[in-house]
Amino acid sequence: MSAALREARWQIRRARRGLVGWAVALAAVAGVYIPFYPAIGGDQLQGMVDALPPELSQALGYDRIGSAAGFVTSTVYGLLGMALLLVLAVGTGARTVAGEEESGLLELSVAAPVRRTALVDGRALALVLRTAMLVLVLFAASAALVRVSDMDVAVGGLAAGSLQLWLFTTAVGLVALAVGAATGRRVVGVAVGAGLAVGGYVADAIAGLVPDAAWLADVSPYAWFLGGDPLVAGVDPGGVLRLVALGAVAWLTGRTLIGRRDLGV
Amino acid sequence: MTAIALDGLVKDYDGTRALDGVDLEVAPGEVFGFIGPNGAGKTTTMRILVDLLRPTAGTARVLGEEPRAGGPALRARLGYLPGELVLDERATARELLAHVATVRGRGAERIAPLAERFDLDLDRRIGELSKGNKQKVGLVQAVMHRPELALLDEPTSGLDPLLQREFLALVREERDAGTTVFLSSHVLSELEDVADRVALIREGRIAVVDDVAGLRAAAGQRLDVEFEGAVPAGAMEGLDEVRIDGARASGVWRGAPTPLLARLAGLPVRHVTLRDRNLEEIVLDAYRGDA
Repeated sequence: MSAALREARWQIRRARRGLVGWAVALAAVAGVYIPFYPAIGGDQLQGMVDALPPELSQALGYDRIGSAAGFVTSTVYGLLGMALLLVLAVGTGARTVAGEEESGLLELSVAAPVRRTALVDGRALALVLRTAMLVLVLFAASAALVRVSDMDVAVGGLAAGSLQLWLFTTAVGLVALAVGAATGRRVVGVAVGAGLAVGGYVADAIAGLVPDAAWLADVSPYAWFLGGDPLVAGVDPGGVLRLVALGAVAWLTGRTLIGRRDLGV
Repeated sequence: MTAIALDGLVKDYDGTRALDGVDLEVAPGEVFGFIGPNGAGKTTTMRILVDLLRPTAGTARVLGEEPRAGGPALRARLGYLPGELVLDERATARELLAHVATVRGRGAERIAPLAERFDLDLDRRIGELSKGNKQKVGLVQAVMHRPELALLDEPTSGLDPLLQREFLALVREERDAGTTVFLSSHVLSELEDVADRVALIREGRIAVVDDVAGLRAAAGQRLDVEFEGAVPAGAMEGLDEVRIDGARASGVWRGAPTPLLARLAGLPVRHVTLRDRNLEEIVLDAYRGDA
């Protein structure tokens, strides 16, 4: 087994208790929203949204809340579920290298007969796998609840949305990891990761409101994730490609830059 | 091949010079003590040896190779105990040590015997262990794979005196089994029984390198004497750091004691002691720049 795989396994093993907590939280997010759609959804909810200023409802992503797939997008995939996964991905990404470097935990790992690049690879892989596991939990919970509530949401759409949610949160988490690996400072990793997610969200909202600023959607990772409305329209190949590219560039940057500096100073 | 060879090693960070031209050679098979106050550069030196830090100038060679160029293959031949040991609180000692053994590809068979020797409970989570018990985990991981060179930064910190002795016995055994041991402390007394040679580092420079006996000889002996009446003229001639207080006098005598004893025999001495200066005093000399 390569050093990177061994490192990834160790990281996931260490985090196994926390992972259960996150899984429960994500299943709960699906559980508190989806079952209420039959009671309040459809025309009634659309009426409430119609009463809001259109700019507001669009910025909040509520303009599509009237359909069942739109409701799941607006509440779970595009809002609370996404927020939880971002918190996990950015927090883990920034902590797994920079945070452990600051606390001193990384010192023994770096002094071990393992390349620094393998440490970054293993920790990045562990992040990718953790978000994958949690998105799978969210997908399974959502698919079950949609079926129980007899809602008009295709499993294929949920799968497409889950895939893109996974790629989006993971890519942002890898940016936090890379910035942490490059600087050795956890807060910088958190700030850049969170800034990218929030900035992307704001850019997407502005792009939807201001025709001259439509190009902002092209550079917003949030728009790469949800702009193609994957729960309704299925996988958006362009968005998927860009999210994968963002994550790959972040990973390569982080593994390169950590080799060039002093650690733990 | 030397185990450690430092040549003009300089390290700057955050605008301060942590190492200011360190020259040092550690021979294979010796136990080498690295003594200095906190902030003198001990930890910086250790961290350069395991390639956590890169030198600003000068060279470091570990088992014949520069730490960065040697990479994982070189680090596989080392054991390292950090000065500020931080371990994963969530894992048990057994899990952590098993992981380290997997990474190194050897050493697993020594986990249980070493844990027993140091009375370490392997099945408790590290977060629940006392500082001394965490230090034991750190020691076990540093030596369990029988490295060619063990780099131990303040290894006895947090250990009670009984465990310190047990640890020093282990260091001797590892040396006898062929391991070179480079260990640091801010107090020499912890190392004087185990170290073959000692270097004193002060403000990023090596002040003295010698064996313990040599340091002792250079240090001389402290004389405390009380006379009948005032201290006679010439009684303290040839001594350093002389202090006279009424009938009492003290000072440091270097060299063979016979002439001093002969002189005192002819004087009205009421009480006298002549003892080896302890090594802390020698270290203090070196810190002051006297040595």
